[in-house]
Amino acid sequence: MKIKNYFLLLTLIALVATPAWGLGNEKGKEAAKTKASIDTSADVEKEKKPKKEDVYFNLTGGTVHTVTGGVLRDVSILCKNGKIVEMGQGVAVPENAKSLDATGYHIYPGLVAADSGGIFGASAENSTNVFSLQMTLALAGGITTAATGNTAAKMTFGSTEGLVIKRDLFKTLRYSTIEPNARYELREKFEKVRQYLRDYEAYEEEKKRDDEAEEPDKEWLKGQYQVCLSLFKKNAVAKFTANNAHELLDVCDLVSTFDIDAVIFGAVEGWTVAPQLARAKVSVVVTPRRRDNLDERLNRASGSSIENASILYDHGVSLAIIPANTSVTLWGLAGRDLLHLNMEAAFAVRGGLSEAAALRAITIDAAKLLGVDHRVGSIEIGKDADFAITDGDILHYMTHTRWTVVNGEVVYDKLKDTLFDHIRPNGELESPPPDDYWPRSLGADQ
Amino acid sequence: MIPHHYLKSQAFTRGFRMLLAIAIFVGVTLGGVVQVSAGDSPDAARIAVRAGKVLTMDKADVVYNNAVILINNGKIERVGAASKIRIPHGYRVIDALDRWVVPGLVDCHNHTAGSLMDLNDMVYLTNPGLRTLETVMPESENVKQGRAGGVTSVLLIPGSGTNMSGFGTITKMGGDTVDDMVMRSPGSLKIAQAGNPERYWFGVGRSYMNYNTRQTLMKAKTYHESWKAFESGDSSHEPDYNPIYDGFRGLFSRDYPVSVHTQMYQVLMTTVDMLTKKLKLRTVLDHCTFDAFKVAPQVLKTDAYTINGPRQYWFDRSQRKMNGNAARWWQGGVHKLGINTDAPVIPQEELPFQAAMACWYGWQTYPALRGLTRIPAEALMVDKRVGTIEVGKDADLGIWTGNPIDPRSSCELTIIDGRIVYDAAVRRRF
Repeated sequence: MKIKNYFLLLTLIALVATPAWGLGNEKGKEAAKTKASIDTSADVEKEKKPKKEDVYFNLTGGTVHTVTGGVLRDVSILCKNGKIVEMGQGVAVPENAKSLDATGYHIYPGLVAADSGGIFGASAENSTNVFSLQMTLALAGGITTAATGNTAAKMTFGSTEGLVIKRDLFKTLRYSTIEPNARYELREKFEKVRQYLRDYEAYEEEKKRDDEAEEPDKEWLKGQYQVCLSLFKKNAVAKFTANNAHELLDVCDLVSTFDIDAVIFGAVEGWTVAPQLARAKVSVVVTPRRRDNLDERLNRASGSSIENASILYDHGVSLAIIPANTSVTLWGLAGRDLLHLNMEAAFAVRGGLSEAAALRAITIDAAKLLGVDHRVGSIEIGKDADFAITDGDILHYMTHTRWTVVNGEVVYDKLKDTLFDHIRPNGELESPPPDDYWPRSLGADQ
Repeated sequence: MIPHHYLKSQAFTRGFRMLLAIAIFVGVTLGGVVQVSAGDSPDAARIAVRAGKVLTMDKADVVYNNAVILINNGKIERVGAASKIRIPHGYRVIDALDRWVVPGLVDCHNHTAGSLMDLNDMVYLTNPGLRTLETVMPESENVKQGRAGGVTSVLLIPGSGTNMSGFGTITKMGGDTVDDMVMRSPGSLKIAQAGNPERYWFGVGRSYMNYNTRQTLMKAKTYHESWKAFESGDSSHEPDYNPIYDGFRGLFSRDYPVSVHTQMYQVLMTTVDMLTKKLKLRTVLDHCTFDAFKVAPQVLKTDAYTINGPRQYWFDRSQRKMNGNAARWWQGGVHKLGINTDAPVIPQEELPFQAAMACWYGWQTYPALRGLTRIPAEALMVDKRVGTIEVGKDADLGIWTGNPIDPRSSCELTIIDGRIVYDAAVRRRF
């Protein structure tokens, strides 16, 4: 009873203290929160764990590219505690909701990078600098989720809470022609585990008739044998790195022979063996701009092709796109690192991929490949409130991210960060240089 | 399954060697017999392009929608609205009604039109007699790839491993022989002011380097002036011919420019002061990266061209700012501004993408397009031949699916001197 009254009072205080418009003044709400915690602690006996106040975030206006459900206009996206809970027109917005008016902007799901480096630490939740410049730059590139090592993590800027979304993404297997011994051994292991599974099945049948049936020996079933077993049982996904047509075909053969789920990174010559890749149901991670010259000595198509992504997609191969350099760089070469993941997708469009498919390859399809599509990769009710809000078509070369939202919180705001605030701040093409013109004696002061 | 030891066996290697020997023998014999015909059919000499949009990139910034370009004998015969030009008989018609036609792109800083192994002949700190002409490599994979990005002319220059690495060569990105390719040799003199040729380990820093570079240039200038005096009759003494310095005569009479590897504001100031102002050389400032844009007011007082790249941004740590190099130069008033790739640092075919990134960092599309066409042509002093689509100029065109700067657009057809050198329909490369 008492608590209810307090909450009513608090809501009133919050209403008075917070201006209804904009993102601004949070002091009032924070004060209200502190008050709530103090007050509820007084009622410890009644309720041991006071329920945390729900945090609402309401995103309005803008063109919403849901990726999986078409393009929506004039809708509100209501998020509660970091998840999308309602979407549409006439959404009832709680009064304490933070709101962001994105009128005139484009709202995309936060981009998903199928690989990354240098943003998260070696152990994502324990050694990530959540205030790093690299993370801000990735957010400025509209990226909110990325694979790091064997983990899928989110760019929860300023906090490690909810950073990891999935561990043990893949079982990395080496099946390369340059390591014939390793190839041979891996295949042997698969064969042995398959035999074990058959023996076990036979044993189970036999056990129905004979109580004293002997279970097949499984002492040896450790290490990589265990990996093979988990792949057979589809509890895990295998990860290969393969680029040449013959390596790709070998992987396809292995994958179909033993019926496992697999992801192939690289796939430079994938376009030459696309039907086989599709039949083996492998997913691929490609870099459309990668350039390998064709090998004139071969009597088959070879080398890289700008059409790689497009051909693979047309054959039904699920694909994600990553740039050649999957970290965020600062040395000055532009458009080739993770900051411009969207541009790598744009190059896939150059090769014939539809814009919708290119967008999928850096959002939902990348999320599917990482096995996190239940959380991220599209704007859907129940999914994480991760958005890249841009000032234009995300595949256009001049588009900047205006805001990036992760778990319902604005973690990047172009105009509040000094990094890019001086680039077309008001959208005008002809914008003045920032105030730091130096040396002054040579500059505007003269 | 091939047992791994088999791959290592001697028998395999020996067999392979024999195969190779046979292949080489057959190749050499056949190569002598079969002549590869490189010439086009006579029809190809006359082409009419029906274009959806033509960006002439000329000084009046003329853009034609629904236009016709007539090409005759490797030159542009006519360009204008489709309603005003009737296509004469005998012209091979290229239908590009939903395409953009832009001038062939020009790159002032290329290292890939020649053999990559010969990028830097590091003999002395200044190597005044060298030239890249001998390294030009027609129809190399890099050349073919470059024109798939709509690039038709490049300045092949030696590297920046020494302060003066030799004379560059302006080449077309097509042609079966070096003679076919070369537009002008010397194309420019390559000087690396600083920011690579330093050999601090051996005690060679910027003071000595600049002293040494200046000495070499002064010797060359003296040579040029003594010849000039003799030729004009001011002096009766005929100077000795010196092959090392003879190439500099055109440089000092401003027939061709100096291409300067220069970056960072301090180095750029040195370049502008030493080469542009004191030695009065026609200067092309290459790279112009890091905080070099701060020297914009100084550059504006000269006739130097600024060709930015391959770096497109500079992260100012003290202010936590990502500065777009081109954008900051432009904002500083420097409008003779172009873009380069420094291929292979950035693949040659990605020249327009360099401009795209310059735009992302704050530049604008049309000036950037100019920075890929007319500006670099002017910088290299070949603007009478290339860089714009105007009557009488070389028929170097790129036919694009849209705005060339947009990475989603692709170059479908590249024409050099009226000859189709790249056709994506035959084999798409980029």
